Amino acid sequence: MKPNNTKIKVKNLNFFYGKKQALFDISMDIYENQVTGLIGPSGCGKSTFLRCLNRMNDLILDTRVQGEVYLDNKNIFDPDVDVVELRRKVGMVFQKPNPFPKSIFENVAYGLRVQGIKDKEQIAQRVEESLQRAALWDDVKDRLNESAMGLSGGQQQRLCIARAIAVQPEVLLMDEPASALDPIATRKIEELIFELKKNFTIVIVTHNMQQAARIADYTGFFLMGKLIEMDKTEVIFTKPNKKETEEYITGRFG
Amino acid sequence: MYTHLHKELEKLKTLSLKMASYVKESLKDCIYAFKNMDTDLAQQIVDGDERVNHLEVKIDETCLKLLALEGPVAKDLRFIIGCMRASIDLERIGDETANIAQTTIILSLKPKLPFYTELTHMGNKSLEMLEYALESFFKPDPDMAIDVCKMDSTVDKLNNDIIKEIIAYMIKEIPAIKRSVYCINIARRFERIGDLATNIAESGVFIAKGINIKHYCQFDNR
Repeated sequence: MKPNNTKIKVKNLNFFYGKKQALFDISMDIYENQVTGLIGPSGCGKSTFLRCLNRMNDLILDTRVQGEVYLDNKNIFDPDVDVVELRRKVGMVFQKPNPFPKSIFENVAYGLRVQGIKDKEQIAQRVEESLQRAALWDDVKDRLNESAMGLSGGQQQRLCIARAIAVQPEVLLMDEPASALDPIATRKIEELIFELKKNFTIVIVTHNMQQAARIADYTGFFLMGKLIEMDKTEVIFTKPNKKETEEYITGRFG
Repeated sequence: MYTHLHKELEKLKTLSLKMASYVKESLKDCIYAFKNMDTDLAQQIVDGDERVNHLEVKIDETCLKLLALEGPVAKDLRFIIGCMRASIDLERIGDETANIAQTTIILSLKPKLPFYTELTHMGNKSLEMLEYALESFFKPDPDMAIDVCKMDSTVDKLNNDIIKEIIAYMIKEIPAIKRSVYCINIARRFERIGDLATNIAESGVFIAKGINIKHYCQFDNR
């Protein structure tokens, strides 16, 4: 059964770094409250694609985008789109945990303050809620004012997730969120993703195919800037339709 | 890129081929032993079942290790699952063959009954099915698997006909009842070998096409 609520609809997306084309005519539906995994070899364009979804690529000089990305039926490239609001709705978690050199509490509260929320009680409540959703509250509730830099790598990444969800996004983009973590911290992040998808739509780039197999509901395989195949994860990993996908996931590629 | 997993899969294929070859030879010998009431050969088959059992355990361990350590996907995963299924079916064929050989030793003590030729014919049909099934599995050739399924109906019919004939004979020849029951058992075992050969062919289709044709034995060839 397909969950048919499309949260993001990508239509004929092309992306260029200067003259070099990095994405070729990508079309894809990303479903609400589902985890969509993006796999493919290095340089295949999956991270570039991910960054298109909240226009993070706008920050890179000499880049150009063609095509459409609809978030709830609104093209995010329309001139009237507020990019800051877009990035609130479509949050991002990066490969390496990047907490601010501030307290644990302030890391999570930061986005809320930027949004203009001043009510201390409201901020405290949202910080607690976010830390709980990120499965970090029990670890840090007694040391909220300590520096975030003192947390372990896994805890720092969960803090970054808490920071991302504090501003109540609708979509979470994750660019290899567990690649710098040990297996236990990785499992915690994966379990967290299972929980988070109840409230958020998640798109995750991963090099770890077993991770995509474990956590993604849908998986897209990218190769040389093209989306070769996109299907339910169980189909991709048991009976892919394209030869290129089969060769990549079985390690016969290259 | 030829990876460590692919080397291990080659080893798994070799083990499976070895097991298949033992079982096929054992069935061939078993039919010969029955036809000629060759008790020495029959005893060798009974004794040889041990090596088939040993290979089943080895294949099981190999598959378990590959699944746990290598994270196989797609056709590699299907190949491992297919080999596990086939090894179970082959081991059962080995058991059926050993049982027929055991029964042959018992039957050899008394005069032959009139339907031994039909039983031998049925045995040869089940052997033919097994040969086709193994070829379709290892090639793999899904179209051949469909032929195996069709052959199964022939063996099923032979089984029904022989059993009817034996029952009719038993009514007339009361002193031969015990031997006749043994012959019914042999017919049932050949029929079962046909079913197991069909399973192996179906596993071959699963490996090649990723579809499960169990119980209906057909696929869309697009």
